[in-house]
Amino acid sequence: MSVLTVLSRSCVRRAFSPFLVRGYAAKTPSTEQKSGVGAKDTSAVEEKTLSSCPPGTVLEGLNYLKGQPAVIALPDEEYPPWLWDLLKPKVYEDDGPGGKAEKKRLRKENQQRIKDQNFMKTQ
Amino acid sequence: MSKALKAKAQLVRILVPAGKAAPTPPVGPALGARGVKSMDFCKEFNARTAHIEPGVPTPTLITVEPDRTFSFITKTPPTTYLLKKTAGIEKGTGRPGHEVTGTISLKHVYEVAKIKAKDGHLKHLKLESIASTVIGTAKSLGLQVVP
Repeated sequence: MSVLTVLSRSCVRRAFSPFLVRGYAAKTPSTEQKSGVGAKDTSAVEEKTLSSCPPGTVLEGLNYLKGQPAVIALPDEEYPPWLWDLLKPKVYEDDGPGGKAEKKRLRKENQQRIKDQNFMKTQ
Repeated sequence: MSKALKAKAQLVRILVPAGKAAPTPPVGPALGARGVKSMDFCKEFNARTAHIEPGVPTPTLITVEPDRTFSFITKTPPTTYLLKKTAGIEKGTGRPGHEVTGTISLKHVYEVAKIKAKDGHLKHLKLESIASTVIGTAKSLGLQVVP
């Protein structure tokens, strides 16, 4: 009976709809856990394709020697692992005070401060 | 220490299409001014670059001794030339960083770095470092590098 009153209240607020569609809550925690595990498997599969260039693509223009066969892209595994980190910003591990990491960080900050000051002088 | 100054060996840096030396405008005056017979250089150059596809620009460093003998070293094609051929573009941008001319994969970068690593003046560098420089050159051309 209480359920009916709740339903009728909601009907009063909104326009009366002959078909009362009850909206269910989002996926229950148990199902979310299951989908999380499933997502991990698929993401592991997706991460394997590191490159946008599929193996077997012809890399034209790089066979500049006479009679050299066309250079073909290899599967991702056959390239050295450092290749995939080249586009990521280089991380310097912390060597403590006075170390390489701190020097690089300070130099970067100084350069950025000078650039900002120079810019503000033009304004 | 002798009072008379020893004449120094002169260096000439020239970009010559492989197998196609001997045109007067680029090569002739540059060498002739230093007393080198351009025909000799061209014959030797064409012989040395016979294994390269004709027309590929080849940077050469010619050392002209005071007695007018010469020796030269050929290097791998310029990185910009290799990148433009791989990406299929004619020219780089006039505004790098703002305009994008094409896209290149890290695999292309790796292969270009492998070619450049054959150069004598790069043999002390790791292939990883050479690949980083190739990425820098690609950026200056306006090429987007993707993994």
